[in-house]
Amino acid sequence: MLLQVDEVIKRFGSTLALDCCSMQVEEGEVIGLLGPNGAGKTTCIRSIIGLIPIDEGSITVFSQKQDGKNREIRRNIGYVTQEITIYEQMSGRDNLAFFASLYGMDKLSIANRIEEVAQIIGLEGRLDDKPKHYSGGMKRRLNIGCALIHSPRLIIMDEPTVGIDPQSRSFILRFVKQLARDGSTIIYTSHYIEEVEAVASRIYIMDNGHMIAQGTLPELIARIQGDHFIEVEVRIASEEKKLQLQQLPDVKEVALEGNRYRIVVPGGIPVLDKIVLILSEQGLVTINTKQPNLEDVFLTLTGKQLRDEVQS
Amino acid sequence: MIAFQLKRSSRDLVGHTVLILFPLALIFFFDYLYKNVNIETGMGMGGQSPITALVIGFALTFQIYGSAISFETLAEDLYSPMHDRIFSSPVEMRSIILSILVSSTLVSFLQTAILLVFSSIILGASFPSLPFVLLVLLVSVVFNQLFGTVLLLLTGGVKTANMVTTIYGSIVPMTVGLYFPLPKGEFFRLLRMYGSPMSLANTASLAVMEGQIRLFIICLAVLLLLIAVLFFCLQPLIRRISI
Ligand SMILES: Nc1ncnc2c1ncn2[C@@H]1O[C@H](COP(=O)(O)OP(=O)(O)O)[C@@H](O)[C@H]1O
Ligand SMILES: [Mg+2]
Repeated sequence: MLLQVDEVIKRFGSTLALDCCSMQVEEGEVIGLLGPNGAGKTTCIRSIIGLIPIDEGSITVFSQKQDGKNREIRRNIGYVTQEITIYEQMSGRDNLAFFASLYGMDKLSIANRIEEVAQIIGLEGRLDDKPKHYSGGMKRRLNIGCALIHSPRLIIMDEPTVGIDPQSRSFILRFVKQLARDGSTIIYTSHYIEEVEAVASRIYIMDNGHMIAQGTLPELIARIQGDHFIEVEVRIASEEKKLQLQQLPDVKEVALEGNRYRIVVPGGIPVLDKIVLILSEQGLVTINTKQPNLEDVFLTLTGKQLRDEVQS
Repeated sequence: MIAFQLKRSSRDLVGHTVLILFPLALIFFFDYLYKNVNIETGMGMGGQSPITALVIGFALTFQIYGSAISFETLAEDLYSPMHDRIFSSPVEMRSIILSILVSSTLVSFLQTAILLVFSSIILGASFPSLPFVLLVLLVSVVFNQLFGTVLLLLTGGVKTANMVTTIYGSIVPMTVGLYFPLPKGEFFRLLRMYGSPMSLANTASLAVMEGQIRLFIICLAVLLLLIAVLFFCLQPLIRRISI
């Protein structure tokens, strides 16, 4: 076991940021850590690295106890922070070299490794420019590169793609997958479902400081296999109708996204007619029943829709 | 790491320009005043010309403002998300603080040295026993940079540190008689000569130029002692913010 988080509790004043949080990671896994803003993802990561003390529970990394003082653990972790933490006024090369020096790497291996990392993050031609002249996506890539420079055993990425263009995002997802193929162990935190679906070999779903489910994508979907998912698109949607739908006895969850209602119902119970009755005044456009995906898993387990959280 | 921090400090071109050009302008202005408007300088400068005393006085004054070089750089690393990034690595808090302190000290000393060079070229100031004067100025830079760092760690924020530095940097030069003559009397003479770290550095510089070696050594020794005290204060402060 590479990482073991055992029933960890962490409070910030009266906020319970981690509530009996547990997690296990094996060497070579790519763990997707999925949860809405405020779920406790960053707090979980900071506890694993030993940046904040925990109140209860225990954390073991590389078979050593995390007590906040263990430098051996830190030496082998690469941390991509949620905020971009690079020096904007220093060149990309200077940034990579500085972070490498924090790990005690010597000059020659730093120089060699910088070229390798530049290739991975696709910044070969721009290393001598300052990040203040980079695009948002390039800054994010350098932010990741600085965490790869010392070839860590465990790479932890906290929302590494927030606020960037789709091209940069898909580039990052591609090289994360490549890192995984090369044998890195990765914890990838995100509130974007597609990203986690794309990169993770196993997924943890987190809400209110607690891991509410974990498993591979098929396993998670199997957990809600009994449910049916109905998507109804209307011309004019309203919150009021959403509430009415929620009040139907056989409806488990309802989410409203644009003009689309996403409704979870137990399999084998005929409720479609009631749904249609409620929504008919709104001008039905399409009705679909579909295979569940990770988004539906999340909706069923948390009663929340991630996308709504993103906007707030 | 020090090379990186040096390079990093050097990027603040506006800051350097201000910390060199502004004192230069002030020296020029006061020198003009003393020459043309029959005003006496407030500094006990012995046999030195007013311009020399002015250059030392303003160099010391702007070293105080220059202490912001260390604490602002430090705050960028300690009081921002960068903190988590840096300390997710095995590096010691002490190494980061020391490397920033050393590089900021070098940068601030360089500003002082450039100020001396400019004023001797442009304004014709002369500095007898220059190596010893530079030594005093270096010790004074170390004191100021260390003071800024302790201040930051003590107050936990760049805002308060800046405020304290600004107030300190405005009042202390007056007690040395830099902006206007102090009233006569023993109290003010002692205040001017020994009343603050800046007075000590000022007295030491003027003393060594006058050949008063004993006074020079005493003032320098007290300054070094103050540095040692600050350094010891730094240890628990560093421990407090590291986990
Ligand atoms: N340093 C802190 N002080 C006080 N509260 C905090 C701190 N860090 C996080 N929290 C709180 O803990 C909860 C979890 O936050 P966080 O771990 O940042 O969530 P996520 O990364 O999933 O968005 C939130 O309610 C947040 O407000
Ligand atoms: Mg977060």
